[in-house]
Amino acid sequence: MSDLRLMWRNTRMVVLCAISAALYAAVLVPFKVVPLIPGVTELRPANAIPVVCSFLFGPAAAWGSAIGNMIGDFFGGVSPGDIFGFFANLAYGWIPYKVWELIGRGQSPISRSPLGILKYVIACLAASVLCADLVGWADNVLVIRPFAMLGNVIIFNNMVSALVLSPFILAAVYPRVKKGRMLYTDVMPEVKLKPVGIRASGFALLIAGEGGAWIFGNLLSTGYWAPKFLPAWMIVAPYDKPVLIIVGPFILLAFAGLFMM
Amino acid sequence: MPIYLYIDRGTFVHRLHPTVKVFALFIMFWSVYWVDNPLALAPVGLVMLWIAQLTDSWPNFYRLRWFFAILVFSTTIAWMVFYRRGAVLVNVPIFHVSRLSLIFGIGRGIKLAELLAASVLFLSTTKIEEFTYGLQRMRVPYRVGFAISLSFRLVPLFIDSAVTIVDAQRLRGYDFNQGGPLERVRRYVPVVIPVFMGALRKANNMAMALEARGFGFSHEPTTFIDYPVTVADILAFAFLIALGTLSFMLYWTGLGGIGPLK
Repeated sequence: MSDLRLMWRNTRMVVLCAISAALYAAVLVPFKVVPLIPGVTELRPANAIPVVCSFLFGPAAAWGSAIGNMIGDFFGGVSPGDIFGFFANLAYGWIPYKVWELIGRGQSPISRSPLGILKYVIACLAASVLCADLVGWADNVLVIRPFAMLGNVIIFNNMVSALVLSPFILAAVYPRVKKGRMLYTDVMPEVKLKPVGIRASGFALLIAGEGGAWIFGNLLSTGYWAPKFLPAWMIVAPYDKPVLIIVGPFILLAFAGLFMM
Repeated sequence: MPIYLYIDRGTFVHRLHPTVKVFALFIMFWSVYWVDNPLALAPVGLVMLWIAQLTDSWPNFYRLRWFFAILVFSTTIAWMVFYRRGAVLVNVPIFHVSRLSLIFGIGRGIKLAELLAASVLFLSTTKIEEFTYGLQRMRVPYRVGFAISLSFRLVPLFIDSAVTIVDAQRLRGYDFNQGGPLERVRRYVPVVIPVFMGALRKANNMAMALEARGFGFSHEPTTFIDYPVTVADILAFAFLIALGTLSFMLYWTGLGGIGPLK
């Protein structure tokens, strides 16, 4: 958590945050015209930007992703669910570099080795799933959209951008940014990593939490699973209460893991 | 490409205190949230129509007309798949077409359209600096408010430079419309990279310029823009409280639900 807070003391990081947000929104707004679920999500090639920025600017990209999404939301309709969208996008920009710091082991994110590619996919998938879980959960609890509809579309959308676009942008930009000493590790050398054991435990909690939230969110919102321990009056469409009670703790668990990283 | 929705008209809504406008957006969300029945959503909808007329925000609504239509339609359809309650009226595979699912779906569609309308009205009458001022008055830290404000300002600059690069690449014979949807998206990578690098070049200078002007010296910097609280702000605040209470009462009495009236 400290890097997310500490970055606000560094003027260069504040500017990089604004630049990440503006770049995200600048690609997001023109593509508002191709909605996948109108009012909620659209074709988002812009989702490649937070991933790229995350590897470059770390915590500044996390806030930039959240702010950029908020700016985008203003042009495609704001709803109470967008408050959660802010935090979901914060996680989307926060997770890739956090996971990479743990599993990358000093390797460059533009490495083309099979193991490097696998690690990159894991980092992006971890970010996409928590982002989708939180937005899907919030919209289902607020009875705006069902979890099963939104949660899966967001994962698909984020992963397509992260796998099809981000690697190309990253390959072109990363060496230049590194040479210009603008990577977050250069701008904020004061941030120290936590012990590996704590970060690995955090990663395990993150995966368990977001995986559980995704599975139960889908099962509950489609009515495929009716938990016996809940009263019958709760287990009716739109399944907002079961999703709140069962999926909520998994999301909390995932965030607890993220804070530990 | 015009990306901002702000329309400078100088009406009393435009002149309201930024905090009242941010509060109004919250009250609109609150009012819409508690009500499910399409008919019970009418009072808030009428208030929005009145404000749209008052502030002359119709050009923005016209710009987004198809978006509103698709929003209501797709939401209604989606909930007819997931909201499987009530006696089936017509047998359609996958869909659960009942009176209850229809009312629920249409209600959700109108609800989302009203939420979108609230944000359109907010953006039509609020400048970026007013929005960030309102956030700061609501205790959002100054540096966060500054980053939001700067991001809003940079968006059109980045879009403009992207458009320039697209035009330059086209002149050199680069075809952006070749291939399938994914390939087309990927063909924009050569546009993103120069925009990205141009932005990074600005970052260093921007940071130095900010520090030279004392950015971060104080947590509560002074501002030359002053927004005094007027009688209109107090009246608007009272009206918003009344509207929020009315919507909650609709929920509390059961009049806002889609079941039988209590």
